[in-house]
Amino acid sequence: MNAMTLPELYRARPRNLVVRGSLMAMLILIAGVWLSGEFLDPQAFTDKRQENVARFLNELRPNPLQSASFDVTLALTWAHSIMQEKGWDALRITLAISFAAITLAGIFGGLLALPAARNLTRSEPFVINRTTCSRMTNLIWSILVGATRLLLIFLRAIPEYVWAFLLLALLGPTAWPAVLALALHNTGVFGKLAAEVIEDLPAGPLRSMTGMGASRLQVAAFTILPLTLPRLLLFFFYRWETCVREATVLGMLGIVSLGFWIQDARARNFYDEMFFLILLGALIVLLGEVISTWARWHVRRAS
Amino acid sequence: MAGLAEATASSGQRRWILIAIVASGIWASITLDLYPALLVPGQGGLAVVTEFFSYALSPVTTYQSKVPEGTKPLAAQALLAAWHTVKFAAAAMGLSLVGGISLGFLSSYSLMIETRRGITRVIGGTIYAIARLTITLMRSIHELLWAVLFLAAFGISQLGAVIALALPCAGILAKIFSELIDETPRHAAHAAEAAGASPIQIYCFILAPQALPNILAYSFYRFECALRSSAVLGFFGYPTLGFYIAASFENLYYGEVWVYLYTLFLLVAAVDLWSGAIRKRLA
Repeated sequence: MNAMTLPELYRARPRNLVVRGSLMAMLILIAGVWLSGEFLDPQAFTDKRQENVARFLNELRPNPLQSASFDVTLALTWAHSIMQEKGWDALRITLAISFAAITLAGIFGGLLALPAARNLTRSEPFVINRTTCSRMTNLIWSILVGATRLLLIFLRAIPEYVWAFLLLALLGPTAWPAVLALALHNTGVFGKLAAEVIEDLPAGPLRSMTGMGASRLQVAAFTILPLTLPRLLLFFFYRWETCVREATVLGMLGIVSLGFWIQDARARNFYDEMFFLILLGALIVLLGEVISTWARWHVRRAS
Repeated sequence: MAGLAEATASSGQRRWILIAIVASGIWASITLDLYPALLVPGQGGLAVVTEFFSYALSPVTTYQSKVPEGTKPLAAQALLAAWHTVKFAAAAMGLSLVGGISLGFLSSYSLMIETRRGITRVIGGTIYAIARLTITLMRSIHELLWAVLFLAAFGISQLGAVIALALPCAGILAKIFSELIDETPRHAAHAAEAAGASPIQIYCFILAPQALPNILAYSFYRFECALRSSAVLGFFGYPTLGFYIAASFENLYYGEVWVYLYTLFLLVAAVDLWSGAIRKRLA
């Protein structure tokens, strides 16, 4: 290797127009938005505002403590009564929504990943010596791939909250709208991730299956599924974490998860209770993260 | 290579994970009374569902309601809402980059603990623990819950909404940044340490630049998430796409709803392709 001087090395550094252009565009956008002053609120620091905020912060303390000196038993009784009345139930429902949604998303995302994977969904997959296929057949297969991918992008482009809002009005007040909303969005995400895993599979095992005469579905069930399962499980738990997070807030639309009681407490101006429930939401999200990390560690170790 | 016995044992472990998933799915559907029959809407409901989804294939081009003279055309209105969505997301992204980078700095094991000796190691460790706790709290409260908190504290305020979007995003960015930097290979860092570089120099000139491509790629992915959250903020009265989706839907103008939904879809899909292209080039 020729020795290079520092300036030569500097000039030879990797540069990419797309990356640099995107970076510039993003920085200009951010700077422009802030410099336009639209988000700089001149009212934010007036005395009146500060007074309001101070009162609000005071009201975040548990109600029985606002007029008394700090007392642990008083605070615990207060917390206990909230948990008895709604907390435990809300936690149970929030968890159940996340479980049901991720199970559905895993099933549908896994199924949709098959027609979205370019190496499986084509004429004569995993064949070394291709016989020439008609243009028409090739076109039909690529249309199938394109349509599935478009559907997956659409499903994940619409946020869970919007799906839930629409479905709640269409399906009525059962738990289904929340579950389906989470499942639809995550089907989009999971399907895309799974399709990428399938496309990255080593060709060897798949070729030997088709060489023995296995059909597409047989290859999918007996080779692709076992080969991809560890990776899919990792994604499954990672998406479950976000499901727990979203399941708490979907309640704000009227499904009885944590968010419902948060909205309810806000409407009644019980800010102490609202704050307590928000922290409870943070706790369950953390719990989900711990469980998911633990499960993913097990999956990694087992594979 | 794993022996046959180990392979069997590992697939046995995975079996328990699968059984646990199925069991929790069943428990959930019992807890929530998820009968498939409930999915079939009644006579009146069915008509609404059919009407709603029939507009998916034929979204309208003009308002379905009677609008006063001089109102913007529907397409212009949708584009304006999309622009507002982008503005909220970009403003939040700016804040969370600043917050994420500085907190990522403080919650990085390699800067605060690994390269330090003696008393600075204790101080660094303390700051590290506090920073970790802060970013955990920031990201475990959902952006909409932050928004609810700020609404209660400040009333409706655009700055409050942007901060609500930015807080969890900054927490996640800080976590990912610090992990990316902690995971970069140590050869160059050891060489620099032997040559007498200080911890800050090692961090800024060796570890951070090596992790930069991944950090950039991840930040663009987060922008996509910020866009979606920004759209949802509309449900709380801010002028992003969610506001118009909710308003049109509640007035039963399903054609308009689909126009806004497709606008959101195009926006997110465009950013998705964009960030995908960047990731591919940085990988």
